[in-house]
Amino acid sequence: MTLEHENFPQTELLPDGRSVVVREMTISDEPRMVEFFQSLPLEDRNFLRNDVSKPDVVHRFVRETEDLVLALVAEANGRIIASATIERGLYGWTRHIGEVRLVVGRPWQRHGLAKVLLRHLVRAAPGAGLELIKGYVAGGKVGAQKALEAMGFKKEAILRRHVKDVAGRRRDLLIYTNDVSHIWEKMEALNADFSPTQGE
Amino acid sequence: MVSTGIRIGGLGGQGVILSGIILGKAASIFDGRNATLIQAFGPEARGSACSAQVTIADDPVAYPYVQNPDVLVVMSADAYTQFIPTLKPEGLLLYEEELVTPKDLPPGVKAYGIPATRIAEELGRRLVLNIVMVGFFAGVTGVVSLVAAEKALLSSVPKGTESLNLNAFRRGYEHGRSLVAAA
Ligand SMILES: CC(C)(COP(=O)(O)OP(=O)(O)OC[C@H]1O[C@@H](n2cnc3c(N)ncnc32)[C@H](O)[C@@H]1OP(=O)(O)O)[C@@H](O)C(=O)NCCC(=O)NCCS
Repeated sequence: MTLEHENFPQTELLPDGRSVVVREMTISDEPRMVEFFQSLPLEDRNFLRNDVSKPDVVHRFVRETEDLVLALVAEANGRIIASATIERGLYGWTRHIGEVRLVVGRPWQRHGLAKVLLRHLVRAAPGAGLELIKGYVAGGKVGAQKALEAMGFKKEAILRRHVKDVAGRRRDLLIYTNDVSHIWEKMEALNADFSPTQGE
Repeated sequence: MVSTGIRIGGLGGQGVILSGIILGKAASIFDGRNATLIQAFGPEARGSACSAQVTIADDPVAYPYVQNPDVLVVMSADAYTQFIPTLKPEGLLLYEEELVTPKDLPPGVKAYGIPATRIAEELGRRLVLNIVMVGFFAGVTGVVSLVAAEKALLSSVPKGTESLNLNAFRRGYEHGRSLVAAA
């Protein structure tokens, strides 16, 4: 889905003064996405559903975007340095929920990039009809938790010892959610067609 | 002098009035013409009959009431039954095709339908059904320009909802254009 009112690419200035370009991922990004994902340590890509170190997985990732509401990449010096997506189910009773996934390359971590990308994802969500967005984080991942909390997410549930980290240790899985439906309450009020003082 | 009388009818909660506001704004603010809006709604927010009368004209509008519309836009079966007898003999009917079945259509009336609710649901929000209808109106009639209608839309809907509303408008617009082209 394209979001006409939010124009990409956008140049974002990070707190350290460096600038990066944030734009929507395209099919032609495939080789650079392969390079980016392969540069990640296992620990940082372990939370993804598929093994993105494999080129054929990335091949599908850049093409099969039907359930992606928005797929962003951050770029610096012609290289992809971060990927952020918001994904939705296309059918069923959780169609109003989106899931965010975010990964920032090691050299660029702790420079505020996760917050920049999350801000775009959160902004895009209501425009795509989503009411709630969620993110999964392994217990102990302070950066991810802080970034989500800074962008309005709240810790909603903990699944105890639900994931295994690269060292084989079982960790809690934290589910963060952000209810963005209030934006639509205003539209509902506008659509109310109601006046207590005026009858037909 | 060109003047178009429009009646939009539906149920409270469908955003009938907002549709009228957007059309009026598009014509008067962004197309530089003249427009008036008369709104009528029931005492409940949801489910009661609701309608808007919009006049769009080149010259200032002296009489804002639309007794016999040139264009009738309906989003409920009741609104169809109530207003179809008032439509001008050569008038145009635009209807939500899953909510309205046009029966006993007066001869001479042209009718175009759109599954606006389904389109709105596909986009993720049933609530934007009225915006699909506004796009449909613009696409079929050309009474308001595309650019003006989009500007009016974006200046009328809450922040954060613009892109979905714009998509809803464009789906309606395209549907309208394709029906007219095929006619
Ligand atoms: C989680 C991740 C995306 C964060 O990216 P980032 O660009 O480094 O995050 P930011 O720089 O925007 O930092 C956000 C906050 O977390 C803090 N932070 C970041 N990494 C941290 C770490 N390792 N330890 C402690 N605090 C950390 C930052 O200081 C900042 O705090 P502030 O809001 O108080 O200023 C990144 O670490 C990553 O890609 N991890 C692997 C994948 C993952 O776990 N994704 C989350 C699933 S949604």
